[in-house]
Amino acid sequence: MSARDAIEIDPPYDFPGYKSTALRAPKQPLIRVAPHPLEIAGPAFSRSFAKESEADLTTWGKSAPLGEKMILVGRVLDEDGKPVRNSLLELWQCNASGRYAHPVDQHNAPLDPNFLGQGKVLTGDNGEYRFVTIKPGAYPWRNHPWAWRPAHIHLSLFGNAYAQRIITQMFFPADPLLPIDPIFNSVPDPEARQRMVCKLDLEQGIEEEALGYRFDIVLRGAKSTPTGV
Amino acid sequence: MGNRTPSQTIGPFFHVGLKWEDGEKVQFAGTGERVVLTGCVYDGGGTAIADALVETWQADPSGKVPGAGAAVRAYGYSRAMTGSDGRYTIETLMPGACTGAGGEKYAPQINVTIFARGLLKAVRTRVFLAAADATRDDPLARAAGARAGTLIASQDAKDRSVWRWDVRLQGKDETAFIDF
Repeated sequence: MSARDAIEIDPPYDFPGYKSTALRAPKQPLIRVAPHPLEIAGPAFSRSFAKESEADLTTWGKSAPLGEKMILVGRVLDEDGKPVRNSLLELWQCNASGRYAHPVDQHNAPLDPNFLGQGKVLTGDNGEYRFVTIKPGAYPWRNHPWAWRPAHIHLSLFGNAYAQRIITQMFFPADPLLPIDPIFNSVPDPEARQRMVCKLDLEQGIEEEALGYRFDIVLRGAKSTPTGV
Repeated sequence: MGNRTPSQTIGPFFHVGLKWEDGEKVQFAGTGERVVLTGCVYDGGGTAIADALVETWQADPSGKVPGAGAAVRAYGYSRAMTGSDGRYTIETLMPGACTGAGGEKYAPQINVTIFARGLLKAVRTRVFLAAADATRDDPLARAAGARAGTLIASQDAKDRSVWRWDVRLQGKDETAFIDF
């Protein structure tokens, strides 16, 4: 095991504070194996898989969605600092009122006919990406009394190798709900937790129109698999 | 170092945002033996999981890594969402056997990643589309030992193109999940 494996970065499967893990967390240890040739390669998405319009979540409806317009920029890198180019990044989120355009969401907050809350891009030559969206709202859930999820955006990444595939959530700075969110706090290392929080970056926004936020995402590096591939 | 972004759960609200048109139909550049992989995902109480995302990635029929091609979606990859009965179904071509860089003999298999509410990180494994005795030299079948049976799909007796494989996240006959 290398030094960088010494700190556990991902949450455990079994985390009692998040009730849904109780019956879904595997109890048997994971079987450690050398990567299959397919796992160190990855699916290749053509650039046409993500249309340019899919990077702007505010132009989906007939007019602008309600809420605080924001620009989200960042880079996707691996642990060795190399840009992860031409890789698929998908995003989904609730609207400014904290309601998802999703049939399962029963939260008593209004849907916004001008906001669907889904986007996708392929990263550029420096691993960079840019989305235009609105800041999602907080919403209540039934995990425990007075449970509210902090504002967050879901991100799904493919990287350049199947071993890099990950789904995560991005949170906002200084959110008072972060300390009480079991999902955010399921990440054991406080520094790793902070890597899920974006930074205000005003100049990435649009003057007199939209706030700018930066969120860089770091995927597994080529040497970081348990078997050292 | 060790500066990776942590995993978080997919949650229950991904179906709209992550939908792919015909996501459960795997595309390839060439042709091969058409097969269907289907089964249900269960929790530790034996209840079907209606909000799992099942993704598969596999070799082409000749055992090679599918490259980039003319298809809009990546070759060799699928995304399926379980229904209210916990069932996923993938239409694909039979993957070829392949050999690793160190000469490892991999039986015909499909690499699987499952995300769900309640999973703070994905579970990953490989399912064999082969009879048990054809998997004996496979590195994972060897490493899994007595649990290897949880990774072998069963070929339907009537429709030989259908392979059935259930996933149990927890409990009796828990599926063998891997880290690589």
